Amino acid sequence: MTRNLEAALIVAASVIAGLGVAIVEFAGGSWLDAQVALTLITFLAAFGGLHMAIRTWSPSADPLLLPVTAFLTGVGFIEVYRIDPRLANVQRWSLLVAAGVGAWVSYVLRSEGVAVLRRYRYLFLAGAVVLLVLPLLPSSWPLHGATVNGSRLWVRLNLPGLDRALSFQPGEVAKVLLAIFLASYLADRAPAMSVVDRSIGRLRLPEPRYLAPVAIAAGAAFLVLIYQRDLGASLLIFALFIVMLYAATGRAVYLGVGAVLVIVGGVVGYLSFGHVQRRVAGWLHPFADYTDTGYQVAQGLFALGSGSLTGAGLGLGRPDAIPAATTDYIFAAIGEELGLAGTIAVIAAFVLLVTIGFGIALRSRDRFRKFLATGLTALLGIQTALILAGVLRILPVTGITLPFLSYGGSSLLASMTTVVLLARISHEERT
Amino acid sequence: MPVLFLNILKVLFIVLLYLFLWQIARAVRANLGPVGSGRYGRRASEIVLIRGGEGKGERVRLRSSGHVIGRSEQADIPIDDPYASEFHARVGLADDAVVVTDLGSTNGTYLNGRRVGNTPTPVRKGDTVQIGKTILEVR
Repeated sequence: MTRNLEAALIVAASVIAGLGVAIVEFAGGSWLDAQVALTLITFLAAFGGLHMAIRTWSPSADPLLLPVTAFLTGVGFIEVYRIDPRLANVQRWSLLVAAGVGAWVSYVLRSEGVAVLRRYRYLFLAGAVVLLVLPLLPSSWPLHGATVNGSRLWVRLNLPGLDRALSFQPGEVAKVLLAIFLASYLADRAPAMSVVDRSIGRLRLPEPRYLAPVAIAAGAAFLVLIYQRDLGASLLIFALFIVMLYAATGRAVYLGVGAVLVIVGGVVGYLSFGHVQRRVAGWLHPFADYTDTGYQVAQGLFALGSGSLTGAGLGLGRPDAIPAATTDYIFAAIGEELGLAGTIAVIAAFVLLVTIGFGIALRSRDRFRKFLATGLTALLGIQTALILAGVLRILPVTGITLPFLSYGGSSLLASMTTVVLLARISHEERT
Repeated sequence: MPVLFLNILKVLFIVLLYLFLWQIARAVRANLGPVGSGRYGRRASEIVLIRGGEGKGERVRLRSSGHVIGRSEQADIPIDDPYASEFHARVGLADDAVVVTDLGSTNGTYLNGRRVGNTPTPVRKGDTVQIGKTILEVR
């Protein structure tokens, strides 16, 4: 019954994606064409396939996760298609691959469930570390790292017979692996970690050795910042550690220590790295150096402002004037063409997704599943909040993707896997 | 004419987005609501952890299928109490009344200080249930 509701909502989301592309085509002066049909077919195949996989292997899963995901992916896809149809063609394949991987994850976990992930935690930790350092491989190797826009996040694989290199961002997948490792680690250690046995005045501190994970988190995040020059990923990894420690122990002191470390790290980062200074300058005074450091932020603000309440209409704005409009700044592009109404719809969908995710965490009975659901949901939520705050000029732009909406296969793959894992956890909680 | 047409399309599209989200929001709300609302909705009872290390002050809304309380991670309400058994006691509903049943625990379950056997014993609001060193109250 609920599964049929899911199927119906997935069809609706696919129709929305197809309709959006059709409107873009109308605005461009052409009528219904193959692109509309291709979009509809891709979405039905990807999410319909995932739906069938979950129906078969985790039949009691939450029926609303996939529809929200399909909705967000659809809205993002329309805007990517509108800005650059060639990228949208690549994104179509990424979506099918991501759905395939999601179905595979669901298949692997079919009999033993996520508990199997708990057993191999050090494998996931090692995997995450390898993926994080992979972009540092020298550029002359067949499998090599690459620097794009000053950040060394990319890995490229040159294949003979292929004119363009296959590239991906391993850091996207590393975040999910880290969340699995942390959930498993904390499920074993949390009871001991929440014991209070020393206090300074009114401040109650956990034992120093239990603060070690926080120090490791800060260290790892800082290394990512230094070697890969990636502000967003380092903040995201650090926030994931802190949120999971807090959720597992219920000790607010971790939040306090985390906030202090973020401020200290931010100040040290600002004083020592040029790229951080540029970001902060663009954030505080986007119009002071409009043509250089402030250009992207200013263009984003223009886009959001000109969008007004209902936007220029799909295909009728100029979102291509924003640098990175298909990735980091997709939210501003949506704001320009669908206005405040469109951006609020996107935020509402994310709020629903996070609500569903934390609902799953609250209802899980076993510690590992509870922490895993918390971590995965927090990952999606924090990533969304960070990039939206950047686009809206609440924080400096951190340069991470908006989950599901941004163009990019690695990000889509990681986010889709997150959703499939959440679905699996919700299935186990109901059986 | 095309401008008007495109404007209408735009508004219709946004309306469609919200209709979709509305459907999801309604379903999410129905899912999040207290389990067993409807029949027990008005006077849903809560189990409140009064004393005990982890989760002190935590409230759990009593669901119609009941909760198993114990030291095991698999218990519905896991408590971190060395004096509790893995699956210590069960708090549930029987004919709209809250009942507590001992599940053959080592150290026993106490209702207002009196030991409870393995038959469902009615609990009134405000009564305390002691499991190991953990004290729960039904509200």
